[in-house]
Amino acid sequence: MLIFDQLNKGDQPLRILAWGLVAGLLLLLGGLWKVQVLSGAQYRERQETQSFRTVRVPALRGKILDRFGREFAGNTPRYRLDLYLDELRPQFAAEYDVRRAALVARKSATNAPAQDTFWAWVGRGFRKARTTPRLNIREIDQLSRDSRFATVSNTIAEVGRRLRLPLTLSEQALHDHYISKRALPLPIIPNCTPEQVALITEQSWNLPGVELERVPIRRYPHSHLASHVVGHLRRDDDYNDEEGRFDYRMRDFRGAMGLEAAFDRELRGQAGARSILVNSAGYRHRQGEEVIAEPQPGLNLITTLDLDLQIATEKALGSVAGDERGAVVVMDPKNGDVLAMASAPDFDPSEFLDGVTAQRWTNFFLAEPATPMINRATYGQYAPGSTFKIIDAIALLESGVDPEATYRVEPDPSTPGKGRYMLGKRSIRDTAPPGDYDFRRAFIRSSNSYFIDHGLRLGWERLIGWGANFGLGQRTGIRLNEETGGDFPTMDTVRERGWTAGNLANVSIGQEITLTPLQLAVAVSAVANGGKVFWPRLVDRLEPESPLSETPAVRVQPGQVRTEIRAKARNFDLVRTAMRDDVLDSEGTGKAARLSDFDICGKTGTAEIKGFGRKDKVTWFASFAPFEAPRYVVIVMVESGASGGGTCAPVARQIYEFLRNREQGRTAPLAGLGGGQ
Amino acid sequence: MTWESTFPNRRERAVEWPLWIGVFGLMLIGAAFIFSATGSADAAAGRPWWRYRVMSQIVAYVLGLGVVAGLCVIDYARLARWSLVAYWISVALLVAVALFGVSRLGAKRWIDLGPMQFQPSELAKLAFLFALANFLARPPGELNSPALFAKALGMALIPFLLILKQPDLGSALVFMPVALAMMFAAGVPRRFLLRFLGSGALVAVLLLVDVMFAPPGWKFIKLEEYQKHRLLVYFGLDFAPKGATPSERLAARAEQEKKSYNVKQSLISVGSGGLAGKGWGEGTQSALGYLPRAVAHNDFIFSVIAEERGFLGSLTVLTLYAVVLFSGIKIASQARDRLGRLIAVGVVTLLFTHIFVNIGMNIRMVPVTGIPLPLLSAGGTSVLCSLIAIGILQNIHLHRRHY
Repeated sequence: MLIFDQLNKGDQPLRILAWGLVAGLLLLLGGLWKVQVLSGAQYRERQETQSFRTVRVPALRGKILDRFGREFAGNTPRYRLDLYLDELRPQFAAEYDVRRAALVARKSATNAPAQDTFWAWVGRGFRKARTTPRLNIREIDQLSRDSRFATVSNTIAEVGRRLRLPLTLSEQALHDHYISKRALPLPIIPNCTPEQVALITEQSWNLPGVELERVPIRRYPHSHLASHVVGHLRRDDDYNDEEGRFDYRMRDFRGAMGLEAAFDRELRGQAGARSILVNSAGYRHRQGEEVIAEPQPGLNLITTLDLDLQIATEKALGSVAGDERGAVVVMDPKNGDVLAMASAPDFDPSEFLDGVTAQRWTNFFLAEPATPMINRATYGQYAPGSTFKIIDAIALLESGVDPEATYRVEPDPSTPGKGRYMLGKRSIRDTAPPGDYDFRRAFIRSSNSYFIDHGLRLGWERLIGWGANFGLGQRTGIRLNEETGGDFPTMDTVRERGWTAGNLANVSIGQEITLTPLQLAVAVSAVANGGKVFWPRLVDRLEPESPLSETPAVRVQPGQVRTEIRAKARNFDLVRTAMRDDVLDSEGTGKAARLSDFDICGKTGTAEIKGFGRKDKVTWFASFAPFEAPRYVVIVMVESGASGGGTCAPVARQIYEFLRNREQGRTAPLAGLGGGQ
Repeated sequence: MTWESTFPNRRERAVEWPLWIGVFGLMLIGAAFIFSATGSADAAAGRPWWRYRVMSQIVAYVLGLGVVAGLCVIDYARLARWSLVAYWISVALLVAVALFGVSRLGAKRWIDLGPMQFQPSELAKLAFLFALANFLARPPGELNSPALFAKALGMALIPFLLILKQPDLGSALVFMPVALAMMFAAGVPRRFLLRFLGSGALVAVLLLVDVMFAPPGWKFIKLEEYQKHRLLVYFGLDFAPKGATPSERLAARAEQEKKSYNVKQSLISVGSGGLAGKGWGEGTQSALGYLPRAVAHNDFIFSVIAEERGFLGSLTVLTLYAVVLFSGIKIASQARDRLGRLIAVGVVTLLFTHIFVNIGMNIRMVPVTGIPLPLLSAGGTSVLCSLIAIGILQNIHLHRRHY
């Protein structure tokens, strides 16, 4: 062998030289072994850290659907016009050269001209030649910053000219993007109109670095419909739920209200990751994008709502004259499913996708008394007024009051034709005329005197006990964050507040307590179904969009009973019959809800409250239908209405009319199946 | 003159094949990886294929091979008669470069020849090598004279100082091992060499201490700022002087970050290649500009090879160099006279010094210098000089029996 021969043969100096060569080469080889093999992984990691950036890619958000699979919230493509800075680098450089030359020329002009003597010439020969003034780092930075901005704003102005759109970009915005997101494209137009998309794609566009990007965005095909239940999203790019740390995050949203918020984790799915190769200047490298992890789409949420019924319900609530503020809950009393839930005024959830100004918040979303962001069906607390007499009635019948026994209402000397109840020296007005009242008549004429008298005899303990049985004072457990349990006393609070008989009288007729329309729907359902207080159900199931997905569907068990009310069936019958008569009887307060072929049973209520510094009213109509086999519970609440019978009963009647017609096959669905508009 | 008449015994080879296998292997690798490091940038710049940087390297290879063929026709002994002339011409060129040279990156090393630029220090190494070999080729007995030793050292010192002045410390220092190895092989008394080596090492240590640790007022030697920084980077020392204010320290830290950038990036390139490498053209370090594009294809070409071909690639390159170097030793041992032997030793040492310093710098074994890797680094002067040196080896081999 060549090498070994030379180590042994030849004269001594050459042998020593040969050994020197071997030693040197082995030293290099050892060094290379250490760097490349022993520390290879470590250097590879350093190389990746410096040349890769990870980008968080949000997953496609799950849809929110009605019980038949029609969309309340889905996704639609949006076209965003992006500017890729890395493609403008040649232009940056050209611009930089021009500006640099200009600056150098300016500086040279002010510098003293070099002496042109022979010795100066020789001296320059030995020293470093410096013919042009040097620029310091700050000047260079400023030059490149200026040339970037000039190039980018020229490009953007050109885009604006072609689209006939005034487009501007602030110097600071570009600089911020350059500093923090250099490897990502700069969005120019976040949401292109179809006309703009057509212009960009048809015209020989040919602008370097300008590209149209398709990004999915939330779509609410029925805009305002069920907005409080569906909720809305809020821009949130800093969402930090995943393990991985990302260099960049793509625009993402988080549920801020309603189902979007309550099931945010399930709807949002699992974000994916992409890596971008960046060069030493921090710009994206072409063909350097790689998907590290595919995003896992979120689960679709199938609600118990019925889209057609929801439309009918909101239409009915909207028929109330004036700037209506109110809520309607439609529930299936057989299992506690929420079929429709409306709150007025409402809002368009898509308005939040591009952000809402603080001014818009104060002037519209949080403006009192409209407060459109409040879900009045679950988050509004209202005195139930006479609708509380439904629960009252069960309580007093169960405590042994004879429904046939009559009670005489005294006339009110100050208002002819009306009764009154004297509690000590306090006179409580009664809208019912003076006369003899048995249970049925007292209920349908909504006699305050009768219920105060019996309530006082019933006492705090039993009244509170029955109210609590029906779930008053506690949240219904509906899967929305915006829920309150209302204000219903316990024995402790009665003692704490030092409540007396006067308060008991008030509570007996539904004053001084509050509940939500949803709580009343649950309670009325219990009366309608013979005592089952359900956990109301708004979400039927969560399931993956793709049937091939490995994620199993999660179903919420329907008809879960929270409390079984132990009351005699006869007493439930008496109350249900009284509710039917309230609508049917010519004397009844709820006759405005009457509908042919459909036995509606109801109870009106008008509570007087002090709201916003003046006396105000909350009007109610609590109902179920049909009488024989209740399938629907409809609770209507309108703030500042005229009266329960006058304002709310007609709303309920329109809803029942829709339900009756649909059951009889008289109407086509208002919204086609399959999630269209 | 025919091959038959020159070598009646046909088993005697005219061409030293292992040497040329090594050389051609290295030239192929050089062309391939210079293309890998510059091809995409050339394409992006819209150059025609014949303006690609790899093409000028190939032209240099072909030109060099032509010069080699020409050189082999003339016996090296006849060539060596002109060595002193070549030596003084190269010294003159070094003076000229100091006066009229083209400045790049703060140093004057090039002479502008219209379409190409020429680096006289590369030529000076070769001319010096020939002249010294010619000088030392006298009968060994004469070499015991200290005056002769001093003369030999003086021959090395003139180009050394001129190149040091450019400033190019790395290229200047290359003269020392070459001179030492040749004198050693020539039979200059060991005590001379050891004394010279010892005092040289002492001076070097003193200078290093002076450069790196002495307070400003005590500095006897003024290195260029960048030279000092290279040394500080190599020894991993802080740029900030003792007792610096925090803001000075911060500025020094930033400066250090900048100065150690090339070394850091070449280490990352070499290391991230791992055992088998990322594949030809797949290396990211130079494509993404982390390994600066200005140096990736010349001084740092080894990083590109090591990144794309891994340790196995490095091993291949070292093996090819070993074949070339040991062929040179073999040629030295078979040379017909002291002149041939000394030239061969000089060439081998020159090549080896370049290889060791360049690869060592790529893995931070040696401070950064501008020393090219023979045959691999892009650069016409370097390729031509390397091929001339190797051509002389072949010449010595060809004329080994030709009295």
